[in-house]
Amino acid sequence: MAGSQPFSVPLAGGLNKSTNSLALLQTPGVATKLRNFEVSPEGGYRRINGFSLFGDTLPNTTNDVEGLLVYADGVLAVVGDDIFFSQDGENAWLQVNKASVAGSGDDYSTFTGRSELALSSVDQCEFAVYEGTSQYGEVVITDKSGNNKPFLFKMTGSSANLNARTYFASQITISGSTTAKFCTIHDQHLVVAGDPATPNTIYYSSTGDIDHFTGTGSGSVTLEDKVVGLKSFRNELFIFCQNSIFKLQNINNAATTAVVPVTKNVGCLDGQTIQEIAGDLIFLAPDGFRTVAGTSRIGDVELGTISQAIQPLVNDIAAAANTLQFSSVVLRDKSQYRMFYSTSTDTAATSRGIIGTLRPQGFEWSETLGIQAPAITSGFDSTGLEKVYHGDRDGKIYNHNLGNSFNGSNIEAEYQSPDYDYGDLGTLKTLDYAKIAFTPEGDAQPTLRVRFDYDSLDTPQPADVILTEIPEPAIFGKALFGAQRFGATEQPLVRQALTGSGHSNFFKIFSADTNAPYAINGLYVNYRPSGRQ
Amino acid sequence: MASTYLDLSNEVLRELNEVVLTSGTFESATGIQAFVKDAINKSIFDIANEEPQLPFFSAGASGGTDPFYGNVTVATSEGVRWYTLKSGSSNISTDYSSVDWDDFYLTTINVSGETTPYVSKGLRFLTLSDWKQYYRDSENADDANGSDASHGEPRFVIKSPDHRKFGLSPIPDKVYNVHFYAFDKPTALSAYNDAITMPEQYSNVVTARTRYYVHQFKENLQQASFALDEYKKNMRTMKSNLINPTPTYMSDDRTYF
Repeated sequence: MAGSQPFSVPLAGGLNKSTNSLALLQTPGVATKLRNFEVSPEGGYRRINGFSLFGDTLPNTTNDVEGLLVYADGVLAVVGDDIFFSQDGENAWLQVNKASVAGSGDDYSTFTGRSELALSSVDQCEFAVYEGTSQYGEVVITDKSGNNKPFLFKMTGSSANLNARTYFASQITISGSTTAKFCTIHDQHLVVAGDPATPNTIYYSSTGDIDHFTGTGSGSVTLEDKVVGLKSFRNELFIFCQNSIFKLQNINNAATTAVVPVTKNVGCLDGQTIQEIAGDLIFLAPDGFRTVAGTSRIGDVELGTISQAIQPLVNDIAAAANTLQFSSVVLRDKSQYRMFYSTSTDTAATSRGIIGTLRPQGFEWSETLGIQAPAITSGFDSTGLEKVYHGDRDGKIYNHNLGNSFNGSNIEAEYQSPDYDYGDLGTLKTLDYAKIAFTPEGDAQPTLRVRFDYDSLDTPQPADVILTEIPEPAIFGKALFGAQRFGATEQPLVRQALTGSGHSNFFKIFSADTNAPYAINGLYVNYRPSGRQ
Repeated sequence: MASTYLDLSNEVLRELNEVVLTSGTFESATGIQAFVKDAINKSIFDIANEEPQLPFFSAGASGGTDPFYGNVTVATSEGVRWYTLKSGSSNISTDYSSVDWDDFYLTTINVSGETTPYVSKGLRFLTLSDWKQYYRDSENADDANGSDASHGEPRFVIKSPDHRKFGLSPIPDKVYNVHFYAFDKPTALSAYNDAITMPEQYSNVVTARTRYYVHQFKENLQQASFALDEYKKNMRTMKSNLINPTPTYMSDDRTYF
């Protein structure tokens, strides 16, 4: 029994919270804890990037950030009860909720001189962008308070100087004092819903005229359930309700316009969780994340839960959904869906999120802790670059997924493997050493923890080991003189001697620092079986 | 090398690539650590059982009562044959581990009231069966008759069947001092800073024996066999160094050829 044995595990599968400990023995690549890591599109688990302040000027003191949108060459931000625009966040933000703006648009000085258009107790916002023929498109903003009519904003002018641009702003009248919580653009119509007096009704504007709800092509449909979200997908409008989902078809043909039920058994917990990713719609239902898959089927809809692996986590979220604020975003270059959730009293440190990365086998999940993002947006700016921003409840707006810290604070990341039994749970194993496959993006120095027998108190547990610093390799064509280590390998295998024995053990790799991200790709363990006690 | 219980335990744990103990965790050791702690005591007992007269088990320094050899002195009483080897010991578990029966010495030196010429001589060991066969009845007959005519200066030392006492033959006729050499039982180590009684250079005897037990525990019979060989070799060396360090010679004390 003395001969040493090898065991290697490529890390894949993401966070798994729903499989029992014995079943997990068969899936050693998954993680039982994966916090502030993301499943890398290339495989392995990568510590996430941090975030940094977008400029040094707050739009509206420390009021809650209620909504963000990548617009033109900057950001539209709803902070407190006002709406602002800035290109870089460095100087005073331009307030855009102005009243009495000329229909032909105001120049800068006229616009800034207009009186404020008062908005009442603004809550989390939704944005709909109607590209039309204008330079940057027209933006419609609604908020979940139900107090305010949709607000329309448009900016034109290609000058880098905001002083040389033209501004359009107005409130959209749906019908009398009808307000809206949700909005989307669908097939040349602005579609809104969520008026507190008519929560089951969706209203759609005239065709190609998004700020008029009385002209040709406009209309309304009353459903049997309260609307919680709207999303245009392909040639259909999906209407997410509390306990059901419908789709509106043929909006441009009054004779054939129809509302078809998709399901009357499953609703959406919050419209802020709906995103389009990889040719599908993803949303949070009471029983987990689901997709509305209509990729190749016409007239047919397939519903499926895609978050079985993190079901206990989702159950906890669903149970507390009425106290949580949700936001979500898609990071296209990572094939990632990110949903953040926190209560209004949560601090940044206690705010949580879920990251779903689309891999060939489907979505693989991880968690975030320390990112407070009641408002988040991603999109391409006027130069075609993808930008991601989030805002918190202290009035701050951040460059999301950028940098090595949470705005200067440590990123506390941890990965924990399931217990490995090395093929036989009954045999005592003495660990010799492990080789951990890393991909460092800079100098990194995580800590390794080994725990035997499911962290049993009856088994001696070794002390944590701070791994030898993993140097950032110098890659030909990318390396900067003095910044990287010549001779360091691109994907080093860090060898670490281990101590202790047990029938099974798990590995935990964690860090709490502002070092560069690193990916853990796999583990190789050398062990000696030592009898069957 | 190791000299305390903690050091010894950690030396073995390190050799086995196991998690080491600290003074803080020593008391609450579990699993393999607890097994190693137990095995160390077992190993020390094995050494004591195999060779109880190793010098570091000595009950005291020899020559305490100069110029006599021995580390224990027992004063006899007139008319009393049997004496407990270890004063104050209540049962065999607290008695001496071993006594050098070939080295009992009788004297009146330092006995109150005695003057020159003193009695000073070695006591020959007499087996219990010989004593029973040749001396017991005659020496006890006087006691049975209320006489002390057979009491005299002891010539033989005998071992009681329960190993707890030594007897003198003849029964002493007065007070003598009996000197002999005794060895203590080892005490099981308990606290982390308990020190082993042997010189540190021989701690590898303990660790080899401990590894023998631990490898058996881990069903690693080959390594256990190696550890046993190492233990035997180290034990042999230790005995050679500590018990027979003097020049070897032969003598012939026969009177008639």
